[in-house]
Amino acid sequence: MDKLKKLNWGYLGSLAVSVLLAFAIGAAILAVAGFDPLRAYAAMAEGAFSSARHIGDLLEYAMVLCLTGLACVLGSRVGIFNVGGEGQLLLGAVVSCQVGVWLGSFSPWIALPAAALAAMAVGGLYALIPGFLKVKVKVNEVITTIMLNTIAASLCQYLAKGPWKNPNKNMVAATAQLDPRLWFKSLIPGSNLSTAILAAAVITVLTWYVMEKTSKGYEMRLTGQNPRFAFFSGIKTDRLVIGCMVISGAMCGLVGMFRVYGVEHLYRSSVSNQYYFEGLTVAMIAGYQPVTVIFLSFFFAILKTGAQGMELTAGVPNQIYLIIQTVIIFCMAAESGVFSSLRAGAQRRKAQEDIRRKEGRDHA
Amino acid sequence: MEQTAVRFEHVSMAFPGVLANDDVSLEIKKGEVFALVGENGAGKSTLMNILYGILTPTDGRVYINGSPVDRFAPRAAIARGVGMVHQHFMLVPSFTVAENIVLSREPRKGRIFFDSAAARRETEALSAEYGLAVDPSAVVGDLSVGLQQRVEILKALHRGAEILILDEPTAVLTPQETEELFAVIRRIVGQRHMTVIIITHKLYEVMAISDRVGVMRKGQLVGVRDTADVDEKLLASMMVGRPMLYDELEKTGTPGKELLRVEDLKVRDSRGLAAVRGVSLSVRAGEVLGIAAVEGNGQSELIEAITGMIRPESGKVFLLDRDVTGQDPGAIRAVGLAHVPEDRLATGVSAQATVADNLLAGRQREKRFTRFGFHRRMSTVERYASQLYERFDIRGAGTQAPAGSMSGGNMQKVVIAREFSFDAPVLIVAQPTRGVDVGAIEFIHSQIIAKRNQGCAILLCSADLDEVFRLSDRIVTLYEGRITGEFSGTFSKDEIGWHMTGGGKREEAG
Repeated sequence: MDKLKKLNWGYLGSLAVSVLLAFAIGAAILAVAGFDPLRAYAAMAEGAFSSARHIGDLLEYAMVLCLTGLACVLGSRVGIFNVGGEGQLLLGAVVSCQVGVWLGSFSPWIALPAAALAAMAVGGLYALIPGFLKVKVKVNEVITTIMLNTIAASLCQYLAKGPWKNPNKNMVAATAQLDPRLWFKSLIPGSNLSTAILAAAVITVLTWYVMEKTSKGYEMRLTGQNPRFAFFSGIKTDRLVIGCMVISGAMCGLVGMFRVYGVEHLYRSSVSNQYYFEGLTVAMIAGYQPVTVIFLSFFFAILKTGAQGMELTAGVPNQIYLIIQTVIIFCMAAESGVFSSLRAGAQRRKAQEDIRRKEGRDHA
Repeated sequence: MEQTAVRFEHVSMAFPGVLANDDVSLEIKKGEVFALVGENGAGKSTLMNILYGILTPTDGRVYINGSPVDRFAPRAAIARGVGMVHQHFMLVPSFTVAENIVLSREPRKGRIFFDSAAARRETEALSAEYGLAVDPSAVVGDLSVGLQQRVEILKALHRGAEILILDEPTAVLTPQETEELFAVIRRIVGQRHMTVIIITHKLYEVMAISDRVGVMRKGQLVGVRDTADVDEKLLASMMVGRPMLYDELEKTGTPGKELLRVEDLKVRDSRGLAAVRGVSLSVRAGEVLGIAAVEGNGQSELIEAITGMIRPESGKVFLLDRDVTGQDPGAIRAVGLAHVPEDRLATGVSAQATVADNLLAGRQREKRFTRFGFHRRMSTVERYASQLYERFDIRGAGTQAPAGSMSGGNMQKVVIAREFSFDAPVLIVAQPTRGVDVGAIEFIHSQIIAKRNQGCAILLCSADLDEVFRLSDRIVTLYEGRITGEFSGTFSKDEIGWHMTGGGKREEAG
C-alpha cells in the first residue's frame, strides 16, 4: 500500500496522456498522408512482436537505450549534463575493437575483459575532460561535450580509414573484423541480441542500486540538487561530480564495445546511429528516474522496431516513430506548465470558496 | 479636522493555499504615522501591496482620500498620491541620484532628449524642500544603504506622494541611520502633513515613531491602538496571540579553554576585493562571541573562511588547537565544528530533498544509518528524523515532505536541528532568526543558550543587534573588514553602533 502511494501518480498520468496524445497526432498525420492509421498501428505492433528475430532486435535496442539513458542520469544526478555520450561510445567501440584485433590469438577470457576495460577507460577519460573543465574552471559542459562529440566521430573515422583500416580493400571506413571466438554469443539466431544483454542487466541493476539505495547515491542527489549545500555539509562535491562524469563516460564506452562485440563484429560508423542521443531523450522523458528509464527503454525500443516493421509491411515511412517520440517530449515539457497552472487555478478557487464559506458563517 | 487618507473595507486576499488577508477593515488618518506590525507572513506586506496597486484583492474595497479604487495598478496608485519604498530598493545602481529620482517622469529637452540639468535642478529643489540632503550627481551604486533609502523616498516624493508606505525600512540600517530616518519621517509628517505607513516587526521602533499601530496576525487585523496606550510586551502578545515574555535567558557556568582561534585572517570576496583585512579573535568554551556589523562589512566572508566554504588569502584558523586553515567543510566539521549558515535556502538545505534527508546531511556515512558501510538503512534514518522533528518542534507536512515546502521559520528549525545535533564543541551561527517569527525566535535563542551552558564555544553573527545583545557574552564590532571594538559586561547600544560604523577608527585618526 505504501509502495503504491509512493508512486508519482502525477508523472505517470501526464506520461500516459502524452503518449496517447502522441499516438492520436501520429494517427492524424498518417490519415492526412493517406494511410489507414489503425492498419498502420497494427502493422507496428506486428513489426515489433511478429518474429523472434524482431523481438531480439528490440531487446538489443532497449539495452542500448537503457545503458545510455542511465549514463545520462548518472551525470544529471550530480548536476552535470553529459551530452558527449555519443563520442564516448564511438571511441569505446573503435578502441575495444582494435584491442580485440590485437589480442585475437588470446583466450576470450583475457581478450574480452581487456577490451571492456579499454572501452571503459577511453570513454571515461574522454568524459574526464569536460568534467574537469566544468568543476575546475566552470566551463559549460554542454558546449564542451557537444564539441568533443564531433572530434571523437572524426577521430574514429580517421582510425577506421587509416591506421586501423580493414585489410580488405572493399571495406571502406571499417576496422578489421574480430575473431569469431571473441564475439558475444547470439541469443536469438539472426537477431542482434547477444549475451551482452546479461552484462547490461547487471550494470543496470548496479547503477540503480547505487543511485537509489546507497549513501553514495544520497550524496550524489544532494550534490545535484544544491551543490553549495552538499559542499557545506561535508561532501567532496568536486570529486563526486568528476567521478560520476567519468563513470558515465565509461558506461557509454562499454555500450560501444557491446555494439561491436555483439552486433557489428568490427568498427564502422553504423555501430551507433546517434544512439546516445536517443538514450538521452529517454532519460529526459523519464525525468532522470532510473526505474522509469528502464521501462521507457523497452517502450521506445518497441516503437522503433515496430516502426521499421510497419515500413516494410504497410509502406509507412518509419519517420512516424520520430514524430511520436517528439510529440511525447513536447507534451511532457508542456505538461509541467499546463498542470501547474491548472493546479494553481484550482487552489485559488478553493481559497475563494473558503472565504465565502467563512463569511457565511460570520453572518450567521 | 481629521480626514481619512486610506480606508480598507472588508479586504481579503487569497493566494493558492493561503488567505493572506482575511476581512481587513482599517482606516488610516491623514497626517499620522501608522505602524503595521506582525510576524512574518501575517499579511502586512500583502495589504500594503494592495494599497500600492501591485495586488488586486479577492474581496472588499479600498478608498484613497475618500474615493474608491476601481483599478489596482501601481500607476493608478501613484496618480492618487501613494508612494512605496520597498524592502529591496527599486533603484538603478548605475544611474545617478538625479536620474533615479526623475525616472518615469523625466524632464525632456525638445520632447525627445533627456534634460539632465533640469533633472539635477529638480532633485536639488526637492531635497532642499524636504530637508533630505543628497548629492544629485552621485552614482546610486556607490551610496550607503541609508542614502539609497533616502533616494527612494525622494523618488516617491517627486512623483507627488502624499501617502508614503515604508516596508521594513530599518532592516538594513544602523541605529544612527534609523534615527536619521525617523527624523525625516517626523519632518515630512509634521511640516508637510503627509501620511506615513511603516511596516516593521521591531517593536521599539513602533514605540519611537508611530502615532497609531495596527497589529496583524495570520491575515487578520487583530487590533488598532494609539501607540501611547500600549507597550512592547502588549504588542508582542497581540502579534503571537498569547502572552510573550522576553525573559532574561539564564546563562550559567564560566568560560573554559579556548576552542576557536583566528589569527590575522585576510579574505577576498567573490569579486576579488579585500573583504576581511586582518581579523583575530578567540572563542572559549561556554561563551558566545557576537559579531556586530552592518551587512557587507566582511562578516559573511569571515565566517565562510572559518568554516571552509572559501579559502582565506592569509592568516590562520585553529579549531581545538588544530590548524584547519583552508581545509574543506567536511574536514573542518570532522574536527568538531557545526555551522548554521546565513542563507538557509542557498546553503542550509536542499529544497527538493525531503526533510528527513536534510536532517541527515553530514551523517549519511555513520554506522547506524548504513549497512556494510554503503546500504542506506531507511527505517533508521526515518526514526532519527522523526525524533529531531519532534524535539525541535518543526511544523510542516512531515519528514517525507520536501524541505522547500516549509515556511522559512520551520526550514530554519531544520537547519538548527541538524547542526545542533552534531554535538560539535564549536558552533558558528549566522543570522539564526532571519525571517523567523517571534515564537520560533524564542525557541532558537533558548537552544543557543542551552548549547552555551553545555560548554560550546559559539560565534554568533546577526544583523539583528538586539539578538546579538541578548545572546552574547562578548561582542566585537566589525567595520570594513576590521575589528573596531571589543565589549563585554553591559553593552551600550550607542557605543557599539558608533564602532559599527567606523566611529572608533575616525576618532583615532582625528
